Amino acid sequence: MSITEASTGTEPSSTEPSSTRPRGAARATEAPAIITDLYDAVTKRGMSLVDVTWEQQRLHESRRWSVVEMLADVDLDALTPVDRNLVWNAGRAELTTKPGADRLERQAEAECRRWQEKNPAVASIMEACGTWSRYWNEEEAHHETVFNRLADLSGMEPISDETFIAFRQVFPDDDMLRTLMLLAISEITAAVNYGQCQQVVQDPGLRRIFKQVAADEIQHRNYFIAFAKALVDSGEYHAKDAFAVAHLFLREDGELQGSAREQKEDRGTHVNWWDHLDTAETDYRPEALEKKEQLICGALKKITGIEVHSRDEVEDTWLDLIGS
Amino acid sequence: MVTQGVETYIRLKFAEHAGLTDEQLFSDDVTLAAVISRSPKMTNSIDLMEAFARTANALRKDYGVRVRLPALPLDTSTAAVLKVFLEEFERAQEAAA
Repeated sequence: MSITEASTGTEPSSTEPSSTRPRGAARATEAPAIITDLYDAVTKRGMSLVDVTWEQQRLHESRRWSVVEMLADVDLDALTPVDRNLVWNAGRAELTTKPGADRLERQAEAECRRWQEKNPAVASIMEACGTWSRYWNEEEAHHETVFNRLADLSGMEPISDETFIAFRQVFPDDDMLRTLMLLAISEITAAVNYGQCQQVVQDPGLRRIFKQVAADEIQHRNYFIAFAKALVDSGEYHAKDAFAVAHLFLREDGELQGSAREQKEDRGTHVNWWDHLDTAETDYRPEALEKKEQLICGALKKITGIEVHSRDEVEDTWLDLIGS
Repeated sequence: MVTQGVETYIRLKFAEHAGLTDEQLFSDDVTLAAVISRSPKMTNSIDLMEAFARTANALRKDYGVRVRLPALPLDTSTAAVLKVFLEEFERAQEAAA
């Protein structure tokens, strides 16, 4: 499956609250889906956090897969130098996801308490986001372990405990809409990269792993978009901040091209995986920048309702939104 | 001199959006990383980017010139940023003429 197929084949649909279903129905009949109109669901359709959590659980259960089984289908002797390098980079990149999820949980909890008196609907959205972060964290554990175990088995340079701990540094807090937009873009970047990897690798078992992980990342992107849209819909968060993050990534020499920059930022607080991509002697980068740009513009449309088609339009719109 | 007036204007606007004084911003080779840590209005480089963008918007409104800033590393000094701003301003002004 290509990334295009992954993004269109797994588009979420709206989910009705359980209060509209027959009472006593222990088994859900509708296909599990992300609640894409969360603010409306909470404020107008009467969905409780128990309802929202049930939908999260159903979708999570429906999408489970086994790292152990997937690894068993990879022919280690058939892996090319490019395959091995892609796996090695993916493993290191995935190490930085857990601190992102830990940060999201902590930040969502704090934001929930902050909004509880002032705007209970926003507090519910924050709680739904913090609750979902446990599924995200668990799913990302699959990605981290599948790639790192494979890199280990195929004789790639091992990850020292020191590096492991350095890559686990928790990201600093930020405005919640900006955080969610950044995470949506990170998932887009990862999904497109893995889609590119899927096209390059030869081993069918490894191809299935990249395909599965890319599909997971698309689901995560959809969740981040849903939470970000709910914040904008609430009127408490300004669309300019979603555009600011998009601009940060898309601008000339922006974060999307971080791994190709001559100068690496020393943040001193956390590791960004795109600063650490190492092509070794393979000279292959899974960039597909146009695809990423297109998907970021699509995310902005879903979150803010504002349609843009290019990085220049993102910048122009952002400048218009912030004023002087 | 137009450029000198613009330089003063840029310094003023950037200081306003950073919530710092001109001296806090432009003395002793202050870096962008230092600006973020000193500014009461900034959490990270996105706030810094927005302060530059607001300054660019003000230039467009008051001088009719659209300035686009490149991505700058956080160890860039504010004096160097000011130089880039002025160069971009002059370039955009010439292009519009």
